[in-house]
Amino acid sequence: MVKPSIPPSVALPRSGHALNRERLRQLVRRELTARYRGSVMGVAWSLLNPVVYMIVYTVVFSKFMRFNIPGTPYPVYLLSGLLAWNFLTQSISASINSILGNAALVKKVAFPWIMLTVATVISAFVNYAISLVLLAPLLIFFHVPVSPALALLPVVTAVLFAFALGLSLGLAAVNVYFRDIEYLTMIAIQVWFFMTPVIYQLDQILAISQGSRLFTVFRWILYVNPMTWVVSAFQDLIAFHRWPAHWPGLLYAAGVGVLVLAAGTLLFQRLSRRFAEEL
Amino acid sequence: MAAGVAVRVRDVSKRFRIYHRRNLTLKQALLQRRRGVFEEFLALQGVSFEVEQGGALGIIGENGSGKSTLLKCIAGILQPDRGSIETHGRVAALLELGAGFHPEYTGRENVYLNGALIGLPRRYIDRVMDEIVAFSELERFIDNPVRTYSSGMYARLGFSIAVHLDPDVLVVDEVLAVGDEAFQQRCYDRIARMRAEGRTLIMVSHALEPIREFCSDCIWLDRGQVRERGSAATVVARYLAEVNARESALMAGEVERVHQLVPSGRGGVGVTRVRFEGADGPTHVFETGDPFEMVIEYHAPARLEGARFSVGFQREDGVMAFSTTTEDTELAASSLPPRGEVRLRIPSLPLLEGLFRASVSISDARSGEPYTILENAFPFRVRSQGVKEKGMALLGHRWELPAAIARRSVEA
Repeated sequence: MVKPSIPPSVALPRSGHALNRERLRQLVRRELTARYRGSVMGVAWSLLNPVVYMIVYTVVFSKFMRFNIPGTPYPVYLLSGLLAWNFLTQSISASINSILGNAALVKKVAFPWIMLTVATVISAFVNYAISLVLLAPLLIFFHVPVSPALALLPVVTAVLFAFALGLSLGLAAVNVYFRDIEYLTMIAIQVWFFMTPVIYQLDQILAISQGSRLFTVFRWILYVNPMTWVVSAFQDLIAFHRWPAHWPGLLYAAGVGVLVLAAGTLLFQRLSRRFAEEL
Repeated sequence: MAAGVAVRVRDVSKRFRIYHRRNLTLKQALLQRRRGVFEEFLALQGVSFEVEQGGALGIIGENGSGKSTLLKCIAGILQPDRGSIETHGRVAALLELGAGFHPEYTGRENVYLNGALIGLPRRYIDRVMDEIVAFSELERFIDNPVRTYSSGMYARLGFSIAVHLDPDVLVVDEVLAVGDEAFQQRCYDRIARMRAEGRTLIMVSHALEPIREFCSDCIWLDRGQVRERGSAATVVARYLAEVNARESALMAGEVERVHQLVPSGRGGVGVTRVRFEGADGPTHVFETGDPFEMVIEYHAPARLEGARFSVGFQREDGVMAFSTTTEDTELAASSLPPRGEVRLRIPSLPLLEGLFRASVSISDARSGEPYTILENAFPFRVRSQGVKEKGMALLGHRWELPAAIARRSVEA
């Protein structure tokens, strides 16, 4: 019997789950740290971005431009909605190239490539968590109280996460086959932003009973858009410190989130069979 | 332990699309209602084989014969269109060393990153890190970013990580071509050790020597099909015979064109034809130690008096390997018929592996003025199978041992 090259005490685990967790951890770490490697401030750069935009938004919208939203200061309203919106767009914009940008890896190493996309969404989630924490001083500054409804935040976040992950997976996979999906998506996101009540308030729109045909179309889009209900739930929980006002909408968004996640995963799995030859 | 099957490949086919025009954007695809104009190309056709646990299979074939496609299918990177591939145990595929290294990360960080991707958990790496670093011989550089590494250092680190995967089945593509010779040797030593431990090996290589050394069996892929399967020695020999025949034919064609293009020289004296002959007749491929003959057919308007024939061999890299003339031989003084053959005979060719080109010239021995010069016009290849010596020529040699050892070995 020949002596094995590795002593048994250091035997490798045979289970795939532990390994996939490890892969995910390393890939998320790469997403978060590699970009800032070699810069003086390092990872601190990733904090700078949310801090700056929060300060700018707060100053601009409380001193120079005043919008009135009854029940909460406008900067708090705006930033609580943007929190959700930014997580979605950051997930998508970072993930859409997660396969294409790792072509060399996908062509040479066999591992569940879905990890690459999941890792970019998780790194967007880390940025989301940082922004969420940074919201706390803002709430204190504007004397916005915290309500027990905030306990629902993880649930609403889960809906948002499912939706963002599903879309990211689908788009990352399709982008391998059609390279202009990336540009189309970025344009679509711009339009989508205005079809989502981030800068204006959903209730104000719903309160207008009459309007032009175009306005009716706009209202329908608002209803169908799952992000409408996710964003307004964020605003309810954080800015209005109350329970979500639109339960059916939130349930609908949860349903869509689960469907999108399932569809995105299936699409990814199906298309990934030919990644190595299409890249 | 009864030897089971480690890898079973059953009737595997793989089709690729070769796009003549590919619609890489949705816009084009929608406008033209298709993904492009493409042709299907069968990279693998009904390939079947098994490798037993502890077995070693070499895969050889020309470029584009499907070797890499087959390895990628075994590794799970490509999905076959038909057929099935079963693998038992942990498979490590070394298709590229250091794939996925992040240039800004240090060598150490990349060990964790690349290790995790290929299947090494962090805690395991913690324990074998020193061993990985020692094997790669990058102790001094391991905490520098890998963008500062040379390609050889990159490959060394990549290989060191991969061998610690402790695989049951090791799949190696042409990755060992990089790196210096000493490191290559250690990689091969490591592979030999894994073989001795009873691990399974599947290896693709352009160099046939490692295949012969490490593999018991070999398959020869030809345009996606298994052309031959058998013991490594037999299959490699057959493959080489065909490669040689083809190269020889190509070179013969080249020589033919030279003869058609080059007119007679000064005074109507010229070289009609040059051919090389080995033990089995005309060829352009020789083994070191083979009998070698170069036959120069010449023509002249009348009897040729006092002519000097010169021949030189130049290696591909421009180094002159050998040159000789008929000066001071009987031939230079004699009167030759208007047509005839002059033969240069080397009973045992001492040249080592390489592509050589022969030059031929005929000149007047007294004035030294050339009739015709055909420079580097006649190619021939020398192979050195089973010869360990390196360089231009195999010099006859013998090692003499210190007397004490010599005596002991005689007594034993």
